[in-house]
Amino acid sequence: MEEDVKKVKKPGIVSPFKRVFLKGEKGRDKKAQEKTTERRALHTFSLSLPDHRIDPDILLNDYIEKEVKYLGQLTSVPGYLNPSSRTEVLQLIDNARKSHQLAGQLTSEQDAVVSLSAYNVKLVWRDGEDIILRVPIHDIAAVSYIRDDSLHLVVLKTAQEAGVSPCPSTCPDLSKSMTLGSLSESGAVLVEVCCLLVLAVDNKAAAEELCLLLSQVFQIVYTESTIDFLDRAIFDGATTPTRHLSLYSDDSSSKVDVKEAFEAEASTFSFQGSLEAGDNSPSPSSTPASPQTKTASEGELSTTATELLQDYMTTLRTKLSSHEIQQFATLLHEYRNGASIHEFCINLRQLYGDSRKFLLLGLRPFIPEKDSQHFENFLETIGVKDGRGIITDSFGRYRRTASSASDSTTNGNGAVRGDGDVGGSDERLAPSEGDEWDRMISDISNDIEALGVSMDQEGVTP
Amino acid sequence: MTMEEMKNEAETTSMVSMTLYAVMYPVFNEVKSFSSLAGSEVRSLFGQAEKENPGLTQDIIMKILEKKKVEVNFTESLLRMAADDVEEYMIDRSEQEFQDLNDKARALKHILSKIPDEINDRVRFLQTIKDIASAIKELLDTVNTVFRKYQYQNRRALEHQKKEFVKYSKSFSDTLKTYFKDGKAINVFVSANRLIHQTNLILQTFKTVA
Repeated sequence: MEEDVKKVKKPGIVSPFKRVFLKGEKGRDKKAQEKTTERRALHTFSLSLPDHRIDPDILLNDYIEKEVKYLGQLTSVPGYLNPSSRTEVLQLIDNARKSHQLAGQLTSEQDAVVSLSAYNVKLVWRDGEDIILRVPIHDIAAVSYIRDDSLHLVVLKTAQEAGVSPCPSTCPDLSKSMTLGSLSESGAVLVEVCCLLVLAVDNKAAAEELCLLLSQVFQIVYTESTIDFLDRAIFDGATTPTRHLSLYSDDSSSKVDVKEAFEAEASTFSFQGSLEAGDNSPSPSSTPASPQTKTASEGELSTTATELLQDYMTTLRTKLSSHEIQQFATLLHEYRNGASIHEFCINLRQLYGDSRKFLLLGLRPFIPEKDSQHFENFLETIGVKDGRGIITDSFGRYRRTASSASDSTTNGNGAVRGDGDVGGSDERLAPSEGDEWDRMISDISNDIEALGVSMDQEGVTP
Repeated sequence: MTMEEMKNEAETTSMVSMTLYAVMYPVFNEVKSFSSLAGSEVRSLFGQAEKENPGLTQDIIMKILEKKKVEVNFTESLLRMAADDVEEYMIDRSEQEFQDLNDKARALKHILSKIPDEINDRVRFLQTIKDIASAIKELLDTVNTVFRKYQYQNRRALEHQKKEFVKYSKSFSDTLKTYFKDGKAINVFVSANRLIHQTNLILQTFKTVA
């Protein structure tokens, strides 16, 4: 039409049509061009071929950006969708494009930037940088690359916040999703649902690059969490107290050299921090109150009791930030000054969060007899009692031994208690032993509080 | 046996002596199969020599390998061979807890010995680590169960050995973290060998004290 207009036009006269429409067109083209030139450079790095390897530190401490087109996000997709099935995925996408849930034609309007790190995948518009969405890595179930003629799609299968959705009982692959199945009133079976985040890239190389980057992110994250899993298993096995825990050493000829034991633990071997806790290796300058002054009084306690408590302090310093240690000290102080065990447990659970709730297990030696039942019940409700819930959480690998499952005692009230309770019901502490224990706990608590204060004064930041 | 004697025993049965029971004991068993006397004698002689000179057996093996120009990664090979039961370390009590101790120790050693086969495949190696974690936890749980059920005069010796095992487990975890940064598998093999040795020492301690 433009050409027709040009042919008819006599030289020297500008057609009103041209003046109005073509000027607008030119203006828009010009703006689009300006926009392209105005766009900021992406935060990117050169990757080693052929597998697009990136330095893990970049994913842990930095991020990498790639240009994509954002077609949209499908929600309430049945969780049993096979992300490897080209047919299944394309069928969903085609239906979504027909119903305009996903973009049909690809234009610069879909231009977006995907930002990758070990923590999340973030999607922002290319122009304006408004955030579209953010997906934590642990919410990503699968990543697929589908080539559909000239279209190169990268599809992320992710968790959806609302967990279930009705599905007709005639769904063909119902058996795959029956883990959370239950019948609704209409007779439909409730199934797990997920989301599909649909992106398009320019070509196969770009798609493969994006997939390999995500693969490396998964590797980093799941390596870290596997090591964390190992640390928790060791911690749990090491700190489970024994029923025969006594305040007095069995062998009077073998006094504990607490200082040597503690320093060997702290300086040579320590738990490394997880991704969330950050790197909290104990610093040489922030040693706790010197244990050698405690040796004489601690000598009356058994090795196991002393070492358990000292071990717990060491672990706290590696798992909590300085601010969190202060908070822990405050909570411990409040508890010892009259706050209820219930409040203490709730606040600690909040402080530790889900990933560090196993630290509560190590508190057993701190809990006096009168509160131990409540404490054990609390551990059970949050799924950490005797390691349950820690090891089956993500991997479902833990098998409880018959001995630990069946070994339990009852207290005077007839309530069942689990094994591993300190000062079990059939071994009530004599008053003098209880006083000694109480004094020991006070000393250790004061040490922890002092540790929190000293770290604050040194200006240690997480 | 006092605490001090136990410590000395452990130090004597140090890591370097692992070659004796991991590499040579199966060989002596084969010798035994065609001459019981010869097999027992050579086993006893080597045991005595190793006790007097810790590391002697390893030196002999290394020299033989060198002489025969056999190119083998000794640490890796030791790890692959270390899963077998060592008669001297097996607890021969019939109670269930002690049999569990034998079983859990065997399971842990078996998984650790598979590391060389799995370490080059990240996904499989991560699964192996999870299996190792579960095995360590189960072994420690069994140790704790024995502590709970039985009162020992020499409890301190057992607690010390448990503490050593935990220490080496933590060291193994630290080694893995370093491996995922620097990729040096040999350090993982060394650490795994140490952990296997500590597992054997736990059995030996319970066998002696219990």
